[in-house]
Amino acid sequence: MKNRKALIILPALVLIACLVWFFSGVENMKFSNILNFGIILLILIFAVLVGFRRFKSFRDGGPAEDELSKKILAKAASMSYYISLYLWLAIMYFSDRIALENHTLIGFGIIGMAVVFGVCWLVINFAGLKNE
Amino acid sequence: MNNRIKEFRARYNLTQDDLAGKVNVRRETIVFLEKNKYNPSLRLAHDIARVFGTTIEEIFIFDS
Repeated sequence: MKNRKALIILPALVLIACLVWFFSGVENMKFSNILNFGIILLILIFAVLVGFRRFKSFRDGGPAEDELSKKILAKAASMSYYISLYLWLAIMYFSDRIALENHTLIGFGIIGMAVVFGVCWLVINFAGLKNE
Repeated sequence: MNNRIKEFRARYNLTQDDLAGKVNVRRETIVFLEKNKYNPSLRLAHDIARVFGTTIEEIFIFDS
């Protein structure tokens, strides 16, 4: 029950925050803002899909998580950690060469980490965990 | 490592959902196992073997 509430409340809060952010600056919206908004929306859809799969499994009498899903999550987390290190190195390298403010760069880094994790999770889900 | 889960499942007339329910995993895990995309834990292998009333060696074939 607690999980079911969290499944609805958390994405709803993120969506509301995104919509407030989107509509508060809609007059002087730049391409980068639209891109950021699109990426956050994709992450939100991804989170809802994962949550729905868990909920569906739970509703059908099965476990919300099992050994495979936990292993996929752990593998995706470890892979995305390594890739994120290089992402932050790249951001540090480019921070002197492009005219962006620090908070924008940090935002790109955080969104990048989320995207990297999502991509790793999808790749592992598709490829499987053979001989792990 | 290969396995004969699909063959045993057909023999016992079980669906992937049925087997998943009996060993308390999600259906996707059974799909991954049958496609040889995942090697199960010893516990899961034991549970699957018990459902089919046989040994782990009968179901999971280890390549040397």
